[in-house]
Amino acid sequence: MIELVEVHKSYGSVKAVDGVSFAVDSGEIFGLLGPNGAGKTTILKILTGYHFADSGSARVARQDICSHPLSVKQKLGYLPENAPLYNDFTVAEYLRFVARARRVPSERQQRRCAFAIQQCGLQDVVQRPIAELSRGFRQRTGLAQAILHDPEILILDEPTSGLDPNQILEIRRLIRTLGRSKTVILSTHIMQEVEAVCDRVLILNKGRIAATGTAAQISAEFAGGERFAISVIAPAGTDQRVFDDIERLAGVQHVQISRLERTVRISAEVSLEPPAATGGGQDGSAAEPDLRNAIDYDAGAALFDWAVARGVRIAELRPLRRSLEELFVELTR
Amino acid sequence: MNPIAVIVRKELHSYFNSAVAYIVVTLFLALTSVWFFAVYRFAARDFASLRGYFAVMPFLFVVLLPAISMRSWAEEHTSGTAELLLTMPFSELQLVLGKFLAALLLVIIMLALTVTVPLTVVPLGRFETGEIVGQYVGTLLLACVGISLGQFVSSLSRNQISAFLISALVLLLITLLHVVTAVAHLPRGAAAVINHLSLLHHYHAFERGLIDSRAVVYYLLLSVGFLYLNAKTLLLRKWS
Repeated sequence: MIELVEVHKSYGSVKAVDGVSFAVDSGEIFGLLGPNGAGKTTILKILTGYHFADSGSARVARQDICSHPLSVKQKLGYLPENAPLYNDFTVAEYLRFVARARRVPSERQQRRCAFAIQQCGLQDVVQRPIAELSRGFRQRTGLAQAILHDPEILILDEPTSGLDPNQILEIRRLIRTLGRSKTVILSTHIMQEVEAVCDRVLILNKGRIAATGTAAQISAEFAGGERFAISVIAPAGTDQRVFDDIERLAGVQHVQISRLERTVRISAEVSLEPPAATGGGQDGSAAEPDLRNAIDYDAGAALFDWAVARGVRIAELRPLRRSLEELFVELTR
Repeated sequence: MNPIAVIVRKELHSYFNSAVAYIVVTLFLALTSVWFFAVYRFAARDFASLRGYFAVMPFLFVVLLPAISMRSWAEEHTSGTAELLLTMPFSELQLVLGKFLAALLLVIIMLALTVTVPLTVVPLGRFETGEIVGQYVGTLLLACVGISLGQFVSSLSRNQISAFLISALVLLLITLLHVVTAVAHLPRGAAAVINHLSLLHHYHAFERGLIDSRAVVYYLLLSVGFLYLNAKTLLLRKWS
């Protein structure tokens, strides 16, 4: 639905976006995450045709934005960073103008305005001049403007900024609802927002892609493989190989061994590297279980198979997912 | 609704919701009448023509047209609404034309309100209807130049006040360019060229009620040129 290929954009000597490529499928909610000045807003401005990229191509619904600006803009709903409002209009007048400008057929204008007002909770301020609205209402009026014409694609630049926690939850719920039938790209610097709303994330830093994928993929990739807390119970005087395997995965310092009367309980935090792309050994013989079997790889299952092969029982197996927040700090430092 | 009409409607809404339009129209009506009746002393002259009335308009336009046009783009850029307009399904030309036509409509309303002056004085003597028509046509064309210039300057600026001052200055310069030839000794050819670039030089024909094709072409050429530059400026900003 949306495709950016090697997009570069500089403002004077400042490189705002430096070779960014990504694609968003139709029906996806895609998050752009990054600190201020990472290039999120610039990417959104390029996607909406407000700015042109210096090089690279940006396509929306298979159409290049520079060469087909009107038909691309027709498909978009856009909420810029600061809600673009006319202070001398009332909310109703403003939305009416947007409906006409977005070419909503006149018989549907009333209904679409009512829908946007209701979805964004603007019922109480419809007749108020925009100049008198609080920050939260201004932001919601901006959002109402973006969804008014029922666009296929919604581009939202920090949609929840300036809202109180209840409003944030409402707006996120609205975005998720809209995301069922629309393609949504939103930018944010709030990690929970991405985890709460987005199907896929792209983390930007200084105009470059720092990471991309689902929240889970990104944490897995950058945590150096998937991490698990595992406790196994082995018969006392058990094979040294069990200790060796665990130590190899965890490093000695993380291993706790408690010896009971007839068993040994070994607890450790282990991290499993995903299998190399080339595949590697696939036979997984009982004698030498392979924790990196590439076929239908699943780290948890691999640990289970390993335990079976070694004849130990798993007492606890818990995936440890580093929060996106920790990663974000690390990636964008 | 036609996209240009959508913009015109929005612009008129803004004009009439702000004080600027009312102030400009009131000032224009008051100053032209004061000039015509109190300073020029029409009643004391034995002259059945509105030439004096229209002669003052270019000078008022130097100040009043930039006051109308100063906010058109500067304000959209400062408040961020330019981003809205430019990401809506409008071409740059449609936006420029919409804003231009809205300001022109305001000027037409303003000029329509001056009709009371001809209506008052015409019964007093033998006035030429054709002359009055020519005077109105010329004034309207002059307004086109002023508005398109002012809006072009506004699109280059982020600040309304500087947009106002710069357009007033430029408008003053091209209005009075022919004064140069009266002051300095220039070769005949150069002087003629400079005269023809002056707005007021051409306006003198309109003032007498003559619709001179050279004047019409020059005014239209300037207006179209500024509108074109305005649209190009919007496009160029995308690469900024």
